[in-house]
Amino acid sequence: MTEKVKVRIDGEVIAATAGQTILEVARANDKYIPALCYMEGLSAVGACRLCMVEVAGVARLLPACTTPVQEGLSVNTTSPQLHSYRKIALELLLVERNHTCAVCVSSGHCELQSLAQEHGVTHVRYPYNYPKLGVDTTHPRYVLDHNRCILCSRCVRTCAEIEGAHVWDVAGRGIQSRLVSELQRPWGEATSCTSCGKCVQACPTGAMAEKGWGVEEMTKRRTVVSRLSSMREGM
Amino acid sequence: MTTAPVTALPHPEDQELIDRIIGDQAGRPGALLGILEKLQEHNRHKYLPMETLEYVAARTGVPQSQVYGVATFYALFNLDPQGTHTIAICRGTACHTRGSRALLERVKLQLGLQETSDGADKVSLTTPDHRFTIRTVACFGQCALAPVVEVDHAIRGHVKEQALIREIEQLRKESAR
Repeated sequence: MTEKVKVRIDGEVIAATAGQTILEVARANDKYIPALCYMEGLSAVGACRLCMVEVAGVARLLPACTTPVQEGLSVNTTSPQLHSYRKIALELLLVERNHTCAVCVSSGHCELQSLAQEHGVTHVRYPYNYPKLGVDTTHPRYVLDHNRCILCSRCVRTCAEIEGAHVWDVAGRGIQSRLVSELQRPWGEATSCTSCGKCVQACPTGAMAEKGWGVEEMTKRRTVVSRLSSMREGM
Repeated sequence: MTTAPVTALPHPEDQELIDRIIGDQAGRPGALLGILEKLQEHNRHKYLPMETLEYVAARTGVPQSQVYGVATFYALFNLDPQGTHTIAICRGTACHTRGSRALLERVKLQLGLQETSDGADKVSLTTPDHRFTIRTVACFGQCALAPVVEVDHAIRGHVKEQALIREIEQLRKESAR
């Protein structure tokens, strides 16, 4: 059932398997497409809109993480238009919550920060939202800071798909969306949490961190989730 | 919104009702929405108490966080007890230009309600005696009748402040009897 297809990514002809997404094929062939909500080993949700690519013959942009490849597909991963759209997406992420890198445990190891640097986001063109948000410190080992959350839902999927506990989900709607544990119970009182910490490792920003680290000190093991997932596939 | 940890189970009678509503639906994809809707309908104060949500999660096997996510995503679900009478004021563009903000402020003043400070664009306030709930709606699709107010599921068009206040006082008198 593994039908082979040929696709073009940035002009280069690449052999891929039908059913793979554009992002998977690109990553497997050292073609870089930025993404925040995508994580190898988790289901793709197409939430962050950073992996948008141009597909020949399609007028609108498509998210690379949820678009499956087809025979003869021709993809452009970089263009001035894509760059400006990705920059807008990043700026909107930055204005939504209170992202203050200078006091963040993940500064220097943050995916949002490095993508912003990479795209030359030196300032944002939109007014900051400055929402009043809490910090959940009830868990003995980990801390959740809603101010730094970008709602990528990587923790939600890690907990549901890899750990199988499904402690996290996104509650509310639109600008009022918040990450919640169980029935909005404090993390430390969530009985279904196994304290495995994989959500913390999956978090791209400093929204989830281990306790006991200072500014710039929290480094994350990004490959933990993908490795666990690929080991299970091999079983 | 309730944030207190829940340990209590729903009343045994309610448990029976929930069990009956869930019935053989548990496990069917997408069943949760219908279950929650029916439960809210059957609730005396037209809301979903935290104990109910917890019990539904336990009975259906749907994670608590997911049940909470669904219950908070849809505007039709209430997590707080609702009043006997519901007054929904349209805050759509057409109604806004025809003075629905003043209408909302006037009704809030009349019922002695204050804006909650969570900054939500959607207002849903209930008087402490649970007689009235006022809420805002994005649009009723009756823009020609702006400003539109829905009183107990009946649409009123071209609403004037005085007429609305009179109607509220009328409802208050009726329910006091």
